[in-house]
Amino acid sequence: MNKNSESPVKFEIDDEQGYLVIRFEGEIDLYGTPHAREVILNCLKSERNTVIDLSAVNYIDSSGVASLVEGFQQAKNQQLEFGLINISDAVQNVLELAHLDKVFTIHASLDERIQAS
Amino acid sequence: MKQTDENDQPTATLDQHLALLARMTQEFTTSLDIEETLNNAIKQMMDTMHAEAASIFLLENNDTELVCRTCAGPIQLTGLRLPADHGIIGNTVKQNTVQMVLDVSTDPDFTAQVDEQTGFTTRSILCAPLTVKGKKLGAIELINKKTDNGLFVADDQHILTALAASAALAINNAEMASALIEQERIQHELELAREIQANLLPSASADDFPVHGYNLPMREVSGDFYDYFTLPDGRIVFNLADVSGKGMNASLLMAKTSSLFHCLGKTQTSPGKLLQRVNNEVHENSTRGMFVTMVGGIFDPKTNEIILANAGHQPPMLQYADGHFEEILGQSPPLGIMPDIEFPETRLNLANGTLYIYTDGVTESQQDGKMLGEAGFQVMINAHRDKPVTMRIKAMFENLQREGRELHDDVTVLVIENKPQTPSLSLSIPAKANYLKQLRDSARDVALSAGSSKEQADSIVLAISEAASNIIQHAYKGDEGEIELNIHVASELEPAQLVINLRDYAETIDINEIRSRALDDVRPGGLGVHFMKQLMDNLVYTVPEDGRGNRLEMRITINE
Repeated sequence: MNKNSESPVKFEIDDEQGYLVIRFEGEIDLYGTPHAREVILNCLKSERNTVIDLSAVNYIDSSGVASLVEGFQQAKNQQLEFGLINISDAVQNVLELAHLDKVFTIHASLDERIQAS
Repeated sequence: MKQTDENDQPTATLDQHLALLARMTQEFTTSLDIEETLNNAIKQMMDTMHAEAASIFLLENNDTELVCRTCAGPIQLTGLRLPADHGIIGNTVKQNTVQMVLDVSTDPDFTAQVDEQTGFTTRSILCAPLTVKGKKLGAIELINKKTDNGLFVADDQHILTALAASAALAINNAEMASALIEQERIQHELELAREIQANLLPSASADDFPVHGYNLPMREVSGDFYDYFTLPDGRIVFNLADVSGKGMNASLLMAKTSSLFHCLGKTQTSPGKLLQRVNNEVHENSTRGMFVTMVGGIFDPKTNEIILANAGHQPPMLQYADGHFEEILGQSPPLGIMPDIEFPETRLNLANGTLYIYTDGVTESQQDGKMLGEAGFQVMINAHRDKPVTMRIKAMFENLQREGRELHDDVTVLVIENKPQTPSLSLSIPAKANYLKQLRDSARDVALSAGSSKEQADSIVLAISEAASNIIQHAYKGDEGEIELNIHVASELEPAQLVINLRDYAETIDINEIRSRALDDVRPGGLGVHFMKQLMDNLVYTVPEDGRGNRLEMRITINE
């Protein structure tokens, strides 16, 4: 488990059932996005399937959404799995606004994702 | 004049002369303490040029007198005043040429007046004018060469001419420097006066207080003033006044009248009688020809009744809740002209309207040679009518100060309004990403208290945060700067709207460049404007009234 309390966006990474699960917490805005983006891309760099738990993210802006899209595209290039789980209403609304709610694979939990595959 | 063989004279060598010239020039150009420099210079000149005495006379008193500013030699002449046309020195200045008189006893221009006063015997004189760019300053005079025959030679004349040129420059520089220092001293005192004067005005009221004033002085000190204060029974006494004339006199009369009103207004609550008393006091010892126009009144926030009296001031304007304007006329003369006049009172009900009391600096402001006038002022008020009163006043003064508008007089406005308060926000943050959360938190509070649902508040917050992010990234491009956020409720609209204004001071951006990208173009940062457009009912980019930076106005109907 990895923890970083100095960043504007807090996160934990767990290795569960063959996935790296990044659990972000806080507000992913212009201030937090560069950090969140780095965390996502680093996980993909290690050639691991990655899912992002967004249950504790109460605000995400266009820059945060863009970093999710970048992770999604990067994973596709590397033929890795990339998905979102457990997303908060706030994140759901913004993804809908960006018409990206159908682009990402979104599941209620990691278990649900594994069952669905 | 006698002619002399120069070779017989033990004159200073050329080297010595050049050294003196270099030294003097150096001292003259670097020193601003002219007295000390000249004192040293005159002594060195006297010694090097083997003169018995030397002096510098400068023109004073509109060039009617020559005054000895410094001298060297056996006789103290400093402070001696001569008529400007006096003797050889007067001639030197007048003709602007070097005069060399080898034997004064034969020279018709020589006047023995000084010798008679001092007991000194003048035999020969070398005198050079001091001029800078044709401006006559005075002259340098050397007296009696310390040689057997005591006569000056042609070389001396050349050296003194050169020295006089650099001395003149130094004197001129020093005079300009001291004029500058004097100017700065006056400037400093005016700034102090302005500060004192600003302190006589009431400090800015809380947003929900019914009376607000603003004064923009055109000079350091202003002739306009306003005042308001609350009586123990909750009524508010107020005034706005304009002192005739400008500058220091006007501001002193302003201070006096303002103090009188403030003091007497606490016990005399009938505006007519109050103005009558102030008038008598001002008249009793006012400078001839100075007067004060004033609107004084009292407002009762419980009943919304205003009682006004007007001493020669231009009529205040009442804007009723339905938008139409009425001038509140008054017929009395200004304060300070005649004693014992009565000032009739006008009663009006403010209801949900707004009373504007202002000085003619507002209506006489010009754009393209055209005065704003009452009608123009009404248009300006209407342009900002839906703003809360403090924002409205700020916006109106931004309008008045925008580029191209000429203000000729102090501009002062007093606004009385007693409308139910709607939530509003006025916030300024540094253009840095780590301040966005603060912006969002404040915006969310206002949206919720204005009646937005939680979902709508989320949308408003997202739109504002995206707009501010764009300002940070694309307007300031990472440079330091400020972002101002104003939110208010346009409650006169049906249904009411939340009006959101974001303003920056970065370079004005070409509006055509602000476009939302296509949805499949999901490069980082490409979604912000799309979000804003989706979330808000209306989105308008404009250049602010004062011509700097960018303004974005977003509107959303509150929980449609």
